[in-house]
Amino acid sequence: MSPHRRESPDRLYVITSGRSSGADDSLDAVTLIVAESAPAPGMQSEHADILRLCVSPMAVVEIAAHLRLPVTVVRILLTDLIDTGRVTARHPAPAPSPAHPLASPDVLEKVLVALHKL
Amino acid sequence: MTDETPRPRGALPPGSTTPRWLLLLVPLLPVWGWALWATYPDGLAPTLVTGGVALLLILVAALLLGRRDRLIAEHRLQAEGTRAATEAFAEEHLPRLVEQLRAGDSADTVLHRMSSVDDPANAAVLRAVAEEISAAERRRAAAMAACATAAGRVQALTTTMLADLRQMQERYGDGSAGSDILGDLMQLDHTTAQTGRIADSIAILTGARSGRRWGRAIPMESILRGAMSRIGAYQRVRTHNVSSLAVAGFAAEGVIHALAEILDNAAKFSPPTAEVHVHVEEVQAGIAVMVEDGGLVMGEEALRRARLAVRSGLDITTISGTRLGLSVVGQLARRYGLEVSFRSSSRGGTAVVLLLPQRIIKPLPAPTAPRPTTVPDSSAPVPAASPNGPAPTAASANTVSPTGTAPLPRSENGLPMRRRGRTLAAAERTRPVPENTSPPTSAKGFGAFRSAVRGEGPTDSPKET
Repeated sequence: MSPHRRESPDRLYVITSGRSSGADDSLDAVTLIVAESAPAPGMQSEHADILRLCVSPMAVVEIAAHLRLPVTVVRILLTDLIDTGRVTARHPAPAPSPAHPLASPDVLEKVLVALHKL
Repeated sequence: MTDETPRPRGALPPGSTTPRWLLLLVPLLPVWGWALWATYPDGLAPTLVTGGVALLLILVAALLLGRRDRLIAEHRLQAEGTRAATEAFAEEHLPRLVEQLRAGDSADTVLHRMSSVDDPANAAVLRAVAEEISAAERRRAAAMAACATAAGRVQALTTTMLADLRQMQERYGDGSAGSDILGDLMQLDHTTAQTGRIADSIAILTGARSGRRWGRAIPMESILRGAMSRIGAYQRVRTHNVSSLAVAGFAAEGVIHALAEILDNAAKFSPPTAEVHVHVEEVQAGIAVMVEDGGLVMGEEALRRARLAVRSGLDITTISGTRLGLSVVGQLARRYGLEVSFRSSSRGGTAVVLLLPQRIIKPLPAPTAPRPTTVPDSSAPVPAASPNGPAPTAASANTVSPTGTAPLPRSENGLPMRRRGRTLAAAERTRPVPENTSPPTSAKGFGAFRSAVRGEGPTDSPKET
């Protein structure tokens, strides 16, 4: 009904202290984040919220949705928390590539043979 | 009351002077009798005639003098009356006239009420003054209304722009093109927020209301950040806030604006590298917000002037033209019952304490971050992700130790329980970060996911205007 209902006086540039970049590049949208400590009093409320949300591992994009903040902003906030050791990130397993030929025809064939033997 | 001009003190009633002059003739009578007796047989007639003529002339002179005296007394009386009338005119009629005109009455109404002034000259002066002041009042009111209208339009525009910018930031902040566009949008956002503050200041000084109204209580952290967002040097502001209270919606905008003006002053009047510290403290009377800068110490005279500017915020005539901020603070303080005090700061600069009264303070609304609604493994015997609210979460979160040396909680059968994610996190610490050979996940695809999570209620539909 009212688009301003959930609005708050916070602006994004204040939440990120004026930064729009500088986030850890390895933080992907599906990187899982785990809290390593409890929120401390006097913390920025977004940081505290992230720590509360990430008691169980949660993807960056999910955190962004829960906090109602853009992913870029959440990545900046997460970078802060990672730098201070309050959260850790679990990166998704790398996709198959020549270096990690998980899905190469050879592997697939071996799997097929193994399945047939069952 | 002022119908009859009072008779001046010591004035004689007219006509009482004439007999006094005639008394002068009394000593002449024996002299005249003696002359008659001395010249009895011969010179009776000439003496009688001479004396009679002299007596007559003296009598005439006495009468004339008496009349002149009466005239003088009359004139004096008149002069006294005029003086009194002028006095009343200057000390009573004119101020009353100005007061009524300032209160908004028309010149004709006020003059009609002042009909007791019967001196035509005074009445003419009164009329001329009334017309002039009335015209000036009309001009002033028109100028104020024009300013207020213009400010209101700018306020509405900036509100729309801020909402639009926020939406754009959300849109482009999700995309892979992220940081550059987001940075530009943030810069625009910042400029717009400052424009909005100026428009708000003009609106408040011209008697209009603030541009925004918040429908719910705003937490102190958001109040501080809202105020910071509206000043240029917000990156120099350091907040120290442990308050868990919020400001009632109707007063939130006023408090944000007053705080923004105080912060702006603090940032402007301190060196460009100095930090401005904001401490929030819950006190008996409400919430005290102390803004400390590291700038110049304000002298006694400057402090006095600042206090005066805050106190006389309503009086637009005392505004110096360049220092609008404190007058705005004064206006807002009067409207919402805030108390503003100045003192020198322990940091070397000036400290401004803004005291928010109890009646505009509310407890903090529901936790800002919603709990995770989906618990992936509900059979896990760990209460960490229970959606019961923040209290058990905070308690259980306390058991997570960053060092990993804390004893693990035990389950009913005495076996140690591992917290989900801990092992993973520990493994992550030892594992080298994989080289990023894969293309990064496109964030664009998650837009739908995010909006689905957000779209819990119908109120979160995008802005339609």
